[in-house]
Amino acid sequence: MTDRDLNERLLRLNAALDGELDAMGSLALEREMRDDPAIAAEQRRLAALRDAVRRHAPREAAPQALADRIAALTASGAAVAPTQAATAPTATAVPFRRRVWLDRRALAMAASFAVFGFAVGAGLTSLRTPSGSGDVAQHLVSDFARAEIAGQPFDVASSDRHTVKPWLADRTTISGTIVDLAPEGFPLVGGRVAIVDRVPTPTLVYRHHEHVVAVTELPLDAKGARGTGGIETIDGYHVARWSDANLAYVAVSDMDENALGEFVEAFRRGGGRATEPTRP
Amino acid sequence: MLTSKRAPSKARAPGARRLSNPIAEQRFREIVPPLLDDAYSLAKWLSQNPTDAEDIVQDAALRALQALSTVSVDRPKPWFLAIVRNAAMTFMARNRRKAVAYAGDMADLDALDLRQGDDAAPNPEQELIALEDGERLRQAIASLHSPFLETLVMRDINGLSYREIAEATETPVGTVMSRLARARAMLAKTLRAEA
Repeated sequence: MTDRDLNERLLRLNAALDGELDAMGSLALEREMRDDPAIAAEQRRLAALRDAVRRHAPREAAPQALADRIAALTASGAAVAPTQAATAPTATAVPFRRRVWLDRRALAMAASFAVFGFAVGAGLTSLRTPSGSGDVAQHLVSDFARAEIAGQPFDVASSDRHTVKPWLADRTTISGTIVDLAPEGFPLVGGRVAIVDRVPTPTLVYRHHEHVVAVTELPLDAKGARGTGGIETIDGYHVARWSDANLAYVAVSDMDENALGEFVEAFRRGGGRATEPTRP
Repeated sequence: MLTSKRAPSKARAPGARRLSNPIAEQRFREIVPPLLDDAYSLAKWLSQNPTDAEDIVQDAALRALQALSTVSVDRPKPWFLAIVRNAAMTFMARNRRKAVAYAGDMADLDALDLRQGDDAAPNPEQELIALEDGERLRQAIASLHSPFLETLVMRDINGLSYREIAEATETPVGTVMSRLARARAMLAKTLRAEA
């Protein structure tokens, strides 16, 4: 038997294994295997190898963070930002179509968030209106819940407002003073960027015991930004909206109403006290 | 105390741009997410690095999104995996993680070492044990040169047919067949040699 015959036979054995032989080819090969045990043995070896490859090198699930970044590429109406900006796990708008898929992967999600959440230095939190209902508070609540689930409620972690402020200033178009509320029992823990109506807006994250409060600063003319001054409950989270001469504020928290009320009071007072030079 | 500094040019991240149109985005959402596991697995085998694999798949997804503005796709899987494979090639060439070997076409057929039937110790049990050593098997796969590696992964992990592999790798079907046969023969040989 020549090398070329051997070659041909091996190709046919592989093709048979891969279901690529037509009926006549299969028939011919079956006859050969019946007549020559060596060929049959070779076929069994190949099959064992193929099965072992499938067993020990299975298809792997893509990390959730990657899936989220891919989904974010086509989040409706959004500009596609380069990799850097789209890296944060909290940073992904999840289009409706993806949700079913996401649910299937809830477990993987928890794991990958844990891994990727801390690997990320900077990110944008995208909030998009699925169907034109422009309720900023609802979006910020979803944002808050997502950040909590991710275990990473901020993109820059610092209790130093002189660190958080320039970080936010570099990434947003709104420059607000960051209030030091540690003496009041609400230490600053970091900041992140939320996207509201496609505009990056600064969000400050404070802690109070085991709870978190996130304050998003918005232009006064932002849709739905101005509230009644009272505290609402959305999806089980408490939301306070207020404004001053320059900006509107939306605070979302898992604290109880009273604590949030105290926080808002402290923030408003502190804001008046802790005036800093603002950037032009 | 607070000022609003609205600067429209900063409203989007630097370098942000629109890459596609709504139709392309719609096609993208139908095609790409279901293939993400396949894409990631292929990229990971080709780059042999999970972080690189993510970069490769993201790059491939961007390319796919751009391409979908102008093309429609009949067979999404070989189409997207071809993009992933090319993105991996580009990535590897740029980052020089591993030499990208472009060996072989039909000549592979003649280069096949088919003496294995002769010199293989007829010890099927030992072979089977070797096959069940998953780590060794994975190392043996990883040591394949890229033309053989990509063919094997596309066939046994991604489940593409010979024709689809030929399409994805822009290679004649005959070459796909010989590469696959050779890849498997080399795997068997490596495992045997170590057994």
